[in-house]
Amino acid sequence: MKRKKSAILVLSLAAAGVSVAQMPAAGGGGTAAPAPSPAMPTSVDASGSSVKPATDDPAHRGETPNPQLLGMEMPLMDPSTDTVKYNGGVFDVGNNAAVRARFEKFLQQVPDNTAESKRYRALFKEMLQLTRKSGRDRHYSIGGETLIKIGKLLYEASDYPADAQQSGTLATTIVSALDVQREALKREHSNEKLEGEMKDLLRQADSWQNYNVARKTSISAKSANGGKDAPKIDPGGDMNALRIAQYLKDVAKKEATQAANLTTNETARLAAKVNYQSVLLTMLFSRRFDHACVGARVYRFIFREGDTKLLLKEDSKANELFTGGMGLPPTVNAIDSMASNMRREVDQSIQSVYGMLARNKLAEATQHLIEAVAVGEYMQSVATFPTDARQRIARYWTLRKRALTALNARDYATVEEVAAKMKEMDVDFDDSMLLSYTTGKKRQSDLAIRNASKALRAGNEEDFNKYITEAGIIWPRNPNLDKGTEMLAKIDEGDPIKDEFRRLYEGKEYRRIAREREHFKIVAMDPDLSKKYEEVIELVMRMDGMLSQIKEVAKQDNSIGPCMAYEKLVEWQKSDEKFANDSEMTLTLREIESNAHDFVQALRDGEACESHGEYGSALACFYKAQCKYPQSTIAKDGIKRVMNVIVKASYE
Amino acid sequence: MAARRARRGGGKRKGKMNLIPLFGGIGAVVVVALILGSGILKKGSGARGMEPTPDFRISDYRMDGSRFASSGNVYVFDGRVESIETIGSSRVVSISIPDNPDERLPLLVPGNVHLRTNLTRGDRFLFETTCRTGRTADGKQVKGVLVVKNVENK
Repeated sequence: MKRKKSAILVLSLAAAGVSVAQMPAAGGGGTAAPAPSPAMPTSVDASGSSVKPATDDPAHRGETPNPQLLGMEMPLMDPSTDTVKYNGGVFDVGNNAAVRARFEKFLQQVPDNTAESKRYRALFKEMLQLTRKSGRDRHYSIGGETLIKIGKLLYEASDYPADAQQSGTLATTIVSALDVQREALKREHSNEKLEGEMKDLLRQADSWQNYNVARKTSISAKSANGGKDAPKIDPGGDMNALRIAQYLKDVAKKEATQAANLTTNETARLAAKVNYQSVLLTMLFSRRFDHACVGARVYRFIFREGDTKLLLKEDSKANELFTGGMGLPPTVNAIDSMASNMRREVDQSIQSVYGMLARNKLAEATQHLIEAVAVGEYMQSVATFPTDARQRIARYWTLRKRALTALNARDYATVEEVAAKMKEMDVDFDDSMLLSYTTGKKRQSDLAIRNASKALRAGNEEDFNKYITEAGIIWPRNPNLDKGTEMLAKIDEGDPIKDEFRRLYEGKEYRRIAREREHFKIVAMDPDLSKKYEEVIELVMRMDGMLSQIKEVAKQDNSIGPCMAYEKLVEWQKSDEKFANDSEMTLTLREIESNAHDFVQALRDGEACESHGEYGSALACFYKAQCKYPQSTIAKDGIKRVMNVIVKASYE
Repeated sequence: MAARRARRGGGKRKGKMNLIPLFGGIGAVVVVALILGSGILKKGSGARGMEPTPDFRISDYRMDGSRFASSGNVYVFDGRVESIETIGSSRVVSISIPDNPDERLPLLVPGNVHLRTNLTRGDRFLFETTCRTGRTADGKQVKGVLVVKNVENK
């Protein structure tokens, strides 16, 4: 299963035309984005999973990838993470720019239901039936006529524009292979003929040799008997020897021709196989599974010696893909098997997409459709995927793309907004990881702004710049950054504000400073004024707290409460000049006075009488105040004070 | 009810005179005194005949105490003792009077005045007072102080 899925995505990448040089760095997605911070994922898919460059890979250590045939450009998929490790980088297939572009193009296309496309698919159905029949019937063999028919069908299919001449290429490959076989057969026939000729020549040479031997024997016998007519020389024998030599020379020539023919045949067949297999692999990797099936099934009827082994380098990735680490040699049949499996997988993916769309599971439907399109873009089930379903997924895909772009731009507010919309469209969309990430980043940025604010109050401009910059890097569109910008602007116009602050401070207009605290915050950059600023803000806040407390007391009871509040306020104002000068406190005192009129009047009368020497009346006034508010300290003190004077005086 | 003031002291003495008119005069004075004395005793409620000064308002006293310090004026108050403060040998008593229960009237009981009645908080008494102006050691005037001369149980 893992092998199958790996193969699917290997094919998808190969088919997407993604070369080593074309593949973008992980996460960039072709989008121009600022350099991400180290902790930031370079890209995130719909589920929020991220990918990062595999920095431990040899390619990232400066090593040159091995450019062997079908070994370098074969990325392998990790199905557990939906990523592809390729040439030193780890790629999220869902985010790969090329795959994404093809998927977006697919979503915008109309379903291919034209008469031409139907005819095209019918042609392949016919071809597959022709080849399938041969597989089921052991006595059935694809003969010349069937091959010719398949070739014609392929050439006819190549007229369909979407075929991109792939059928023509396959047909040409089949024809070329057949040509090679035909020529090889001719050479084999020629060798058979040469064999016969050599046999004839050898037979004739043997005859002449026998004749010569007999002739030499006869002459030798005559010479031994002292025959005078015995010839000294034998010109006939010499001629025969020459003839025999000629025969043997001709045999040698024919043997050489025969050997040359054999060599040529071997070489031509090997070249034809390599060419044929290359085309089959190209068809497979370009996701032309119908072509790959037809080509693979026809293969064994073209190269009939029964050797279907793929001629791949043993240490290549393609070899590994086909053998799956089992150690068995890869064969052409494996291509057929793999292409058939792909067709089935794609059909199943499309069926599952329909099911998920019916249940509004857009995230999963999108993911499955990406896989289906990446793998089987040219298949009927994908090409005829209906328009309304495409539009639904396109809307969801657009949101997903916006989320990714916003994330790369570190616009976390937009990310959350888009994630919420995605959640509306698909309640099962898992946004937890995405939101955790954005929330964390927003808090980091806010924390940096807070630190900047602290640094500003402490008068540390260097730290302020550092933190405000950090906040901007983490979350460039943080709305709180505007405050920091305002603070920066105020640094430049600080002097007039400082002068104004000094004037108000000296005039004891603390309330006004506090009211315009944001305006005067800049003075905190000045170490001397910083203390005063803090002191004023603290004082006003303390007074506000006291006034709030005293107003509550004044409300407690209609008679005692206002008296108690009045006395407390008077006590505070006597204790600190700043309180006595505070407008709010004075205003509150006036308000409370009206509610404790009798008590206040008695105290005032008492003090007035006391100042005029009317001690008897003063004592009566203080007693009256005490009657109104028995716990009154002012009245008690007044009584004690006046009483001492009265007692110590001498009367006439 | 019209305000009434009890004035004591008064008449000039004559040195040498005829005894008959003298006795006649004395007799007439005694008769007049008996008539007047019986009238006073008839209207007073105290054991010795002290009667609370009518129409006395503490608020008037608070406004201007020295106004009551005209020479020889005696004020009698029927009051309940609310507090007693002792400073040295003197005491300052605050009383509440029936017409002004929400106010206190301070009275000085100097150390040299020996009362036959024990003042106790919460009890009612009749206070005979005069409004005086005193002077402190440093010469500062202490105006409008009600000084107790006598106290009787109510």
